[in-house]
Amino acid sequence: MAQTLHIESRGGRVGTPLLEVQNLVMHYGTKEGEVSAVDNVSFTLNNGEAIGLVGESGCGKTSVALTLLRLLPDNSVIKGGDIKLDGESLIDLDEEQMRRRRWRDISMVFQGAMNSWNPVYRIGDQIREALRLHWPETLTYQEETDRIGALFELVGLNPVTMERYPHEFSGGMRQRAVIAMALSCNPKVIIADEPTTALDVIVQDQILRELKKIQQELGMSIIYISHDIAVIAEVTERMGVMYAGKLVELGSTLEVFHRPRHPYSYLLLSSTPSITGPRRKLAPLEGEPPNLLNPPTGCRFHPRCPFAIDKCSSEEPGLVEVGEGHSVACWNWQEVPEIGGLQK
Amino acid sequence: MSETMADAGADTQPLIKVENLRKLFPVSKSIFREAHDFVHAVDGIDFEIAPGESLGLVGESGCGKSTTGRMLTKLTDATSGQILLADEGELIDIASIQRSHMRRFRRRVQMIFQDPFESLNPRRTVYDTVAESLTVQRIGSVQQREERVAELLHRVGLTPPEQFLFRYPHELSGGQRQRVAIARALVIDPTFVVADEPTSMLDVSIRISIMDLMLKLAEEFNVSYLYITHDLAVARYMCDRIAVMYLGKIVEIAPTEELLSNPQHPYTRALLSAVPVPDPAHKRERIDIKGGISKALNPPPVCRFIERCPRATDHCRTSDHPEFTDLGDGHFVACYNL
Repeated sequence: MAQTLHIESRGGRVGTPLLEVQNLVMHYGTKEGEVSAVDNVSFTLNNGEAIGLVGESGCGKTSVALTLLRLLPDNSVIKGGDIKLDGESLIDLDEEQMRRRRWRDISMVFQGAMNSWNPVYRIGDQIREALRLHWPETLTYQEETDRIGALFELVGLNPVTMERYPHEFSGGMRQRAVIAMALSCNPKVIIADEPTTALDVIVQDQILRELKKIQQELGMSIIYISHDIAVIAEVTERMGVMYAGKLVELGSTLEVFHRPRHPYSYLLLSSTPSITGPRRKLAPLEGEPPNLLNPPTGCRFHPRCPFAIDKCSSEEPGLVEVGEGHSVACWNWQEVPEIGGLQK
Repeated sequence: MSETMADAGADTQPLIKVENLRKLFPVSKSIFREAHDFVHAVDGIDFEIAPGESLGLVGESGCGKSTTGRMLTKLTDATSGQILLADEGELIDIASIQRSHMRRFRRRVQMIFQDPFESLNPRRTVYDTVAESLTVQRIGSVQQREERVAELLHRVGLTPPEQFLFRYPHELSGGQRQRVAIARALVIDPTFVVADEPTSMLDVSIRISIMDLMLKLAEEFNVSYLYITHDLAVARYMCDRIAVMYLGKIVEIAPTEELLSNPQHPYTRALLSAVPVPDPAHKRERIDIKGGISKALNPPPVCRFIERCPRATDHCRTSDHPEFTDLGDGHFVACYNL
């Protein structure tokens, strides 16, 4: 009984590697040809850690998440690489084995998930369904109810409200309930893809605080995916910057924000308005992301890059270490100035 | 877009003067029965916008900011109140303009919408879209219109214009479409433009170039903006002054930097404290307010914020919604407990 009330992360010791993504390559087949949506992406998520993936729309952040969960559409092909959870490869699992791991080992909070509740079932019963399918033992009805109540309390909802229908919940409450459902089976990893994008700023703040509290108190490991770098700055310890299907920079959030080394990260940060700090002119990022049917040769960012040199259009840079735990894929990273440096 | 411009606003004749503007939407249970319940979407707001100034209207969804914008462009009729527009030395009341005078009004006031995928007619070319108001207003000959459209496309950064004139919206990216929407709004030289979240659908990198373009054009065309947004960081970048709305009321209005550095209303403070900051080293002061935004359905006449307010006193519970207190330098706040 007490077991079923206990909400925890089933990951290992905090700080040890939990999810290892190695050289992941994923393509979508389309009528026009193959779209290289995820190209050679590698990163590690440690136990108890929150990491973030940022980038513009179409850069492949959600494709990475879908690949990790193996929830890809039919036209996708995982071309190579490996995903290891606790040392076990997820790539080789068949559909049934993978299905068992979803919710139980890797759960998810998707963008707009608050709108994916079935309107004709009570919120509590929908979480009950996840428990029935994915909890390793069979629970009694009362045990399930108790656990759902405990989950509700953890995410800041009154347990009484589990009897309600989705339309009786506000957007923020629905999103809290989505988080409760993601935690329902004590997962090892939560993937939160734009978890607060459709919410108002005060509610967003409350939800992010809730997630951060859960991560720190339960030692939960979370991958945040967002286009909003301010959100990533708030909740993550390490972050990766994606551009056109590639991971171009990876490092501690503090380091990447204060001393970005990739021109794209630099421009992304420089073009984000803030309500703090001096009111400064922002540097726009010229041009548009490339068509991944036919990505640019060499570095995929070179056509838009103010720091590009000849080599950039012909040779592709790999990730190189530029500081402790900080790596960047750029030939000319030494030239990237400090934030605000271009205007000086 | 300097602070001096915001200060100048106080002395010169306003371009737009809004007085006690209200919009009530009837909520009726049956089509055969007259409505007894009303959503007070906009519930008695006053503000002024000086020529060339841009005023930001911020607030959470459902606070009435878009309804305000729609009333100022006469896409929605006001329930009561006045919207006065200075036009060639005289003040005309937008609320009472008759249909026959709408054409003159539309020359002065234009709108830019949020979603460039929805707001452009998919069956019209860029030229058709941008030239339409010139045709409707019967400005210039066909050749002059063509020249004017090409000039506008050039000025909004769609160059060379010949490449864009005969394209359809589906052939354009989101940023390019928003540029077309801006060209359409500015082609007849309006004095006032309502921009309703014009960049919220765009990616960060494109967002800045559109915001910079709007700032540049504001100076070149000497237009005033009412810039509606939920994003305070965007409002800071774009606006001389900011008005914060909550459930149909403006609770605080001040020059941008003053509002951000010295917020006085408890709601403004809570809102500012909730904005994520793109700096992981920044520690925010958290101000918690209770609950979520409620609906403005038949609100009692007391302060709209009372249920969530950490400062509410008995005086607040028994008094009308507070009037503005003038804190000097154009800073006004509607709260009893300052």
